[in-house]
Amino acid sequence: MFRPPQNFLLAGFLFVTVVASASPAAGAGAGRDIVLPDTVIPDPAHDVGWKNLFEQIGAPKTRISDFEERRFFPFRSAPILLQGEIRMVPDRGLSLSYFGAKPYIVIVDRAGVLMRDEHGRQRAAPADGRAQAATSALFHILQFDLPALLREFVIHGQRTAANWTLGFVPRDPTLAQAIGSVIVHGEQAHLDRIDMIKSDTQRIEILIRNTRDDVIFQPDVLERFFR
Amino acid sequence: MDSSRRKIIARLALIAFAVLCAIWLVRLDYARKISTNVLDLIPPAEQSPEINLVRSFANNVQSRVMLFALQDAHSPATPPKAAAEMFVAELARSPEFAEAVLIGDTTAQNKFGREIFERRFELLLPGWLGERQREFARTGRPSREFAAWLAERAATDLESFLSRPEAAAMQELITMDPLLLVPQLAEHARIVNAPESAAGGNALVWARIKPSPLAEAGQQPVFSAIESALANVRAVHPGVALRWTGINRFAAASRARIESEIRLLNVFSIAAVLAVSAIFVRRIYQILHLTPVILLSIAGAWTISTVVFDRLHILVFVIGSLLSGVAIDYGVYIYMQPALRPDEPYGEKLRRLLKPLLASCLTTVIGFSLLLFSDLPLIREIGLFVSAGLLCALGTAMLYFAQLEHPFLEARQFVAQGARRDHAALRWFSRGLLALAAAIVLIGPWHLRWRDDVRELDIPAPELHANEAALRALFGENTDRSVYLTYGATVAEARQHLEEFLAHQARVAPNVQNSSLGLLLPTENDWRELPARLAALGDFAGDFRDALGRHGFSAASFEPFFNAWRRVRTEPPSGNYEALAASLNAMLTGPLSLLSNPHDPAWFLTISEQPEGARPPAGLHTVSVSQLQSLNELFARYRWSALRLSLIGLALVIVSVFAIYPFRRGLRIALIPAGSCFFVFGVFGLTGQTLNLFNLLGAFLGVCLSHNYAIFSSETAGPGGAPPVSIRLSALCTASSFGVLAFSHIPVIHALGLTVALIVLTALTSVELESIARKIPRR
Repeated sequence: MFRPPQNFLLAGFLFVTVVASASPAAGAGAGRDIVLPDTVIPDPAHDVGWKNLFEQIGAPKTRISDFEERRFFPFRSAPILLQGEIRMVPDRGLSLSYFGAKPYIVIVDRAGVLMRDEHGRQRAAPADGRAQAATSALFHILQFDLPALLREFVIHGQRTAANWTLGFVPRDPTLAQAIGSVIVHGEQAHLDRIDMIKSDTQRIEILIRNTRDDVIFQPDVLERFFR
Repeated sequence: MDSSRRKIIARLALIAFAVLCAIWLVRLDYARKISTNVLDLIPPAEQSPEINLVRSFANNVQSRVMLFALQDAHSPATPPKAAAEMFVAELARSPEFAEAVLIGDTTAQNKFGREIFERRFELLLPGWLGERQREFARTGRPSREFAAWLAERAATDLESFLSRPEAAAMQELITMDPLLLVPQLAEHARIVNAPESAAGGNALVWARIKPSPLAEAGQQPVFSAIESALANVRAVHPGVALRWTGINRFAAASRARIESEIRLLNVFSIAAVLAVSAIFVRRIYQILHLTPVILLSIAGAWTISTVVFDRLHILVFVIGSLLSGVAIDYGVYIYMQPALRPDEPYGEKLRRLLKPLLASCLTTVIGFSLLLFSDLPLIREIGLFVSAGLLCALGTAMLYFAQLEHPFLEARQFVAQGARRDHAALRWFSRGLLALAAAIVLIGPWHLRWRDDVRELDIPAPELHANEAALRALFGENTDRSVYLTYGATVAEARQHLEEFLAHQARVAPNVQNSSLGLLLPTENDWRELPARLAALGDFAGDFRDALGRHGFSAASFEPFFNAWRRVRTEPPSGNYEALAASLNAMLTGPLSLLSNPHDPAWFLTISEQPEGARPPAGLHTVSVSQLQSLNELFARYRWSALRLSLIGLALVIVSVFAIYPFRRGLRIALIPAGSCFFVFGVFGLTGQTLNLFNLLGAFLGVCLSHNYAIFSSETAGPGGAPPVSIRLSALCTASSFGVLAFSHIPVIHALGLTVALIVLTALTSVELESIARKIPRR
């Protein structure tokens, strides 16, 4: 009958990410050439120029890609370089597996963000509303869940031949301050690059390569890389 | 003294005794005097601080927590936050609740977080610096190199941290905290899943009640407050459904279940006793004369026990209810013995019966009195309760039947009674059965299995347990974690012990995460050393700027940190350590307030992300909160204590019997109860039954009852003669009433009822078979 208050432990410590995510974005607008009034796509599902692309990239498929992430910090001259693999499974979400000396996995799904280290120890991102909004936004963008995206973002787009660029600007100013803008580049039905830009000196670039669609993930892989 | 005067004196004595008992029992504060808390079974002077700590934690902290989940039927996938906020406000207004918190409401958390960040140099720097200094000391390098070493180490850690997933989110903090005091705290104090992630469409509310959930004040008034709060919420949000759990729900259900079951069992017990009596007694209404004897013996036992002990556990009275089975024996024996001649006075009859009565009563009292020497309170309380009750039963029976003109309960005369008991075939058949019983006695007990499980005391409530499990799952709790309390006489001692416990955990399970609020507080030594350590780091700022540059950082970006560093070196945090701990504790509200206690005794709670494993070594001053295990061990101690004292008591009873009776009769009197008890345990062993403390206590009582039958039958029955009707009536009444208890769903009552009923039946059968099996001497 007597049970410990397990999950309340250290709930207060999670403030750190909350504090950080609520910090104002510096230099809003930097690096976002695509975010212009004439690039807005008000209704992508019915826009003849974009309809097919959204159908293709939004189609539920299992995918695996290699990625290289560059993290730019305002207090550092060179970016931090990270490499890894992205796995995507409809209904289970996204999994970013980072290589390196201390590998870890970041899982983004409907339940939020979960971080898992090489020993299998894991921790959730804060349950705070703003943090959840940020992770939910990332989830919708990477899933190309159009109805959800339109609810939360103003969508901008540019394309030249097979190449295209989409910009997602949060409608909620608080969320805009938290995550800045998200710019997604691609060619035909594949994503090439994701930029999460808060300012010129505060941004993350994720270069995506070697994408393979309709991959069959074995149960042990699903267990290891997803929630 | 003439007969009428003796009657008046006896009556006055009885009335005086009854009035005294009534006055005492009516004025008694039962809520204060009688405990229903399992944890009160632990001896107050228990030497083990671990058990005391668990008891204090469970009684004072944990048991008052209640969990609620609200869901809106109109929108089941979306947590009804507005309704939950209103519910929290309603609970907070109620005088029954100390506090109520909506899980996911980050206002308090953020405030707490900001305070910790602002006090990072005071709370986190001492431990960080102390740890680095110890690490540096292990390198064996000269102390003058410490500042440069520390700067390089901090810059390396910072660069490495930027590869972590949380780095991007924390970048604004990093320029103020490049030593990573706060990020490292978060890293070492991580949490697996936030409650909200498991809650689905439920809004979760955590609350703490003011009164004890085991007291009446913590039950119905609290339930009413919840109902009222829900009604008010539903007036605005009609679709809201509420699920909730708390110790008080279990306690209230337990009490209701005990009351209803005891009522039902009593009715069936009385019916069984009446049915048996109707078979043996010619005028059944006369059996009502036994009622005052039983009532006064129980009243006497209650009175004496409550006078002697400040507080008694309810189990004493549950187990003590078996007293009625023993108490009835003396009355039945006196009442059913016919006078030797029509004009035999009561006093003369009583003198004739005094030897077996005193032998039976006093030897049993000697046995139970031994339990007074137990170091466990429950055993002591049972020893006094039963001993006092038996003396009261004998005294009352002797005085009560002095009132009656003809104190004789006439038995039915059965045609078959005593007939053909000397038949050789019957004799050999009886001997065969006794030999078989002897074999079971010798073989069976070796196969006994004991299991001491505190859950035996729980009243089965599967629906409440399922509800509780569902709610705790919504709150994200799981069984893959173990929870520990690390304690000390002072907060400084407890924090030092926590340091040692966490170091031990890191050694034995390096990949297992341990989280503790105690990490927010430095050890007293690191706290005291901080000013001197800071003073010795005069070159650190310069060294750190250089190191940051070497690792690709722009040192100028970290000016906020360097400014704060200058300030902290000029005015290092200092002061009373206890005051520091108290100020930290004052910041904790809601669920966080359950995670540490700064005094009496001081403790910190640690959650380990692994299922319960081996118990931490004793020197670490850490105990698992898995009280079940601690209490199961306590119950095993109870059983061994009861067994040891029962065996000594049994030995004393046997010695007394041999002192009173000749050897052959003494042997018979000793063998019947002991043999019956071991026969029943043998049957339990051979049939694979698992026994517990309550089977053992039942056995002790069963032995005492059997002991009475053996003495009474030896007084009246000869070889080949049937035992007296009084024994058959008494034994069958006891067996039937306790047999009914064996059908109880309450494990304790079931164990007691089954054991007593079987031993009594076995004893009666032994008495019957033994008289048949003996060869009748030729005349």
